Amino acid sequence: MSDSINTYLDKSMQEIASQLVDIAKQSGAAHADALSIIDTGESMDVRHGKLESIEREDSRGIGLRAFIDTGKGLAFASASTSDVSEKGLKQLAEQVVNMANISEPDPDAMPPIGAEHPSADELIAWQVKHPHQAHGWSTEQAKEAALSCEAAALAYSDKISNSEGASASFGETSIAYAASDGFVAGYERASSSLSISVIAGEGESMQRDYAYTRARIAAELRNPAEVGQEASERTLRLLGASGLSSRTTTVVFEPRIATSILSHLVSAINGRAILQKRSFLNDAVNEEIFPHFIHISDNPDHPEGMGNRLFDGEGTHCSARNIIESGKLTGFLTDRYAAKRLGTKPTGHARRGLTGDTGIGTSNLILQPGSEDLHAILHDIHDGVLITELMGFGINGVTGDYSRGAAGFLIENGKISRPVQEFTIASNLKDMFANISHIGNDLTWFGSMAVPSIAIANMTIAGQS
Amino acid sequence: MNLSTLPSALPIAPEILQKMLNAMIPADADDADLYLQHSISESLSLEEGRVKHVSASTAQGIGARVIKGEVSGHAYTDRFETAALMDAAKAARAIAANGHIKKPLAVRPLASPHSLYLNENPMQQVDLAQRKALLEHIDQLARSIDPRVQQVFANVSASFSHIHIIRMDGAHLSDERPLIRLNVSVVVEENGKRETGGAGGGGRFDLTRLIDTNEAERLTREAVRIAILNLDAKAAPAGSMPVVLGSGWPGILLHEAIGHGLEGDFNRKGSSVFAGKLGQRVAAKGVTVIDDGTILDRRGSLNFDDEGTATQRNILIEDGILTGYMQDKQNARLMGAAPTGNGRRESYADPIQPRMTNTFMLAGKDKPDNILASLDEGIYAVNFGGGQVDITSGKFVFTTSEAYYVKNGEIQYPVKGATLIGMGHEVLQKVSMIGDDLALDPGVGTCGKGGQSVPVGVGLPTIRVDELTVGGTEA
Repeated sequence: MSDSINTYLDKSMQEIASQLVDIAKQSGAAHADALSIIDTGESMDVRHGKLESIEREDSRGIGLRAFIDTGKGLAFASASTSDVSEKGLKQLAEQVVNMANISEPDPDAMPPIGAEHPSADELIAWQVKHPHQAHGWSTEQAKEAALSCEAAALAYSDKISNSEGASASFGETSIAYAASDGFVAGYERASSSLSISVIAGEGESMQRDYAYTRARIAAELRNPAEVGQEASERTLRLLGASGLSSRTTTVVFEPRIATSILSHLVSAINGRAILQKRSFLNDAVNEEIFPHFIHISDNPDHPEGMGNRLFDGEGTHCSARNIIESGKLTGFLTDRYAAKRLGTKPTGHARRGLTGDTGIGTSNLILQPGSEDLHAILHDIHDGVLITELMGFGINGVTGDYSRGAAGFLIENGKISRPVQEFTIASNLKDMFANISHIGNDLTWFGSMAVPSIAIANMTIAGQS
Repeated sequence: MNLSTLPSALPIAPEILQKMLNAMIPADADDADLYLQHSISESLSLEEGRVKHVSASTAQGIGARVIKGEVSGHAYTDRFETAALMDAAKAARAIAANGHIKKPLAVRPLASPHSLYLNENPMQQVDLAQRKALLEHIDQLARSIDPRVQQVFANVSASFSHIHIIRMDGAHLSDERPLIRLNVSVVVEENGKRETGGAGGGGRFDLTRLIDTNEAERLTREAVRIAILNLDAKAAPAGSMPVVLGSGWPGILLHEAIGHGLEGDFNRKGSSVFAGKLGQRVAAKGVTVIDDGTILDRRGSLNFDDEGTATQRNILIEDGILTGYMQDKQNARLMGAAPTGNGRRESYADPIQPRMTNTFMLAGKDKPDNILASLDEGIYAVNFGGGQVDITSGKFVFTTSEAYYVKNGEIQYPVKGATLIGMGHEVLQKVSMIGDDLALDPGVGTCGKGGQSVPVGVGLPTIRVDELTVGGTEA
């Protein structure tokens, strides 16, 4: 499908985005920027060796943000449409300008002019370093991959009693951005993925787990059979899970689960949340919020990351940044507005959708691994719980209070003893960050995040008695 | 009749739709349809005392779907050029092994089976300036209620979606679906300690209902009350104990604990812990659980589902016995059951899934005061955030946002948000008292499944559950 992105358009989306910015200015906007996203792709599910569903996607949208000068500062609004005809663009521009007239002006508003854009040379260098790659799968190849993934999972053991199926998907996203200071740029991104979920056991003792692989191009995906076997291995080890008694103990998050700890950190150092006093880390800049052996960085150009980008949602140049240095928080993550209000430099973390206000998002977030393997960590912990699954949304971003459902394995005398479920783990994120006792050497990539195992002391487990 | 008599609001020429149908339905298809959607939405947000941002979106597109046995093909596009539409039609039928095409259909309009909500744009009576004034009023009110209020966030959003479904049998149904929502949340601060509280409401009705009633004021007072209450919250206990759930939104228990597990797809595939349990006891005597898509104006209601099947009142559990699953057409056919009006999709771009509408437990005879008084030591939870379930093992969680520690039948103090965890196939068997105060939630539920979000409702009378694990920090 790589040739289909612009099949029905006689203009490139970069041209259309620039045109929309001009139309907005003609309609009364003082400043404007436009973002367009085109997604094409296919996904399919197979189950018990047969194709179960196939889906083809073809979507296109353009979003406009327009600022008007009210005399008391700039006011802005945003809207999106899938109609990119000249008439559609004109309607969109008029709608946004009308809506901006309703918005209250903000003396700190940051219109899309004067951002620290990448230079023309940097744009070219980026294209050379990251040439457009097709995802590299045909429908038939993707189906074969899903079938062999499921077959390997089912063949792994007699105890695998059912399959929820394997899924394969591939596609391309094309993004274009234009701002009223003349900056226009675009890039394309391919992606492919393969996932599987299987069930072991019967009736009320059933357990399930999953495994997946994600990459830009299909050739970089893990071997389908290996993914299938991983899902079965993970599922089988859960069989016979039972409850455990309440206790306060050390909890080990395996890498897949440990990603959530980084997500909670990112939410708490989001510059917009800081402005709104919605974070438990409001006063934490330059504080040691983690132990000294914790280093966390955001790298927008990493060979293994799925979140590579040259510029953010406002066209601000992105560069690598240490977020946590030897346990210390270096600063908040900002777009241009939050940076202005906080009196700092924009960090290139503006995240935009087609419509709505600017948010904050990281590129590739990496927690630097330690030197111990999981075996050594468990040995050191002696007694605790290894968490392989978390459920629910029990996080209070204002206070940091944390309470989530969990499942995993009891650690007794430095070894995994039995699978456990139906319990919760609770603490406060501030304490959890400070109480990290071990970091594994098992750095694992999950799309745009790379995390090793993390052990956290002093968490409360609520169980059955 | 043929397609040329369809409503003029169709954004694609009727003869093009006919051409798509003619090209896409294999001779041996069990089902096929086109789903055409045009949606507009508008949202205003207030923060730091100002409505700083107004946003809107317009989306339109068409999904083409073909089903044969257990296999489905789905393609969508938001490009209405003929070539793109025909590509989508052909992609949907790519699942068919043979090249034979079903003969052209006689398309005929079919009247909607229900008229459960307004069929007009819910935004047209209340312009953006009035909505902005509403949010500013909320901001001033919240700050006047309590000086500890430091930040106020308010959002009013509304959408209007126009749907056309053209089924394989030629029936053409159209529906206009309004949906509005108002959310208020505040951050309060006292002696350097900050807390937050929120409230929201909405449904399938006109924005005038927010302006003409005291709903905005009620939500604002509620948000401030919860935030202030939480300033004094102590750590929740940790461990297994009896829990009394308040009426209304705590019905999220039903949604997570048993609702998802009773969706047809999971039971056909045998992946739900409830598979094969029809006719068996899954709840205590006296527990009757209903999923009803036909309640007037409710967020989870639909005149017909996204396959054109009339919504209805489905009894899932009757006096503790499992009596039915929720079905879309494909899973119903494969299970030898009737469709129940639960086939839903987030938009034209998503596949159909069996989903809940408004899920609630019928009232019992106990007085809520007596239920609370029965609690020797435990938790009384009246409000919740989100929840989640693993339908295979039956594990489910939901997290309190307003709860109290109770001793000797008396409320002692508010407790911090704690996640409650249990097993879906066990929890309703531990229901020992059911209140006479059934209430539906205020209209805030959004359910996620397989990456799709749809609006839903829940409801519950006050109930006592003899044992649930409470995920606090106080051992």
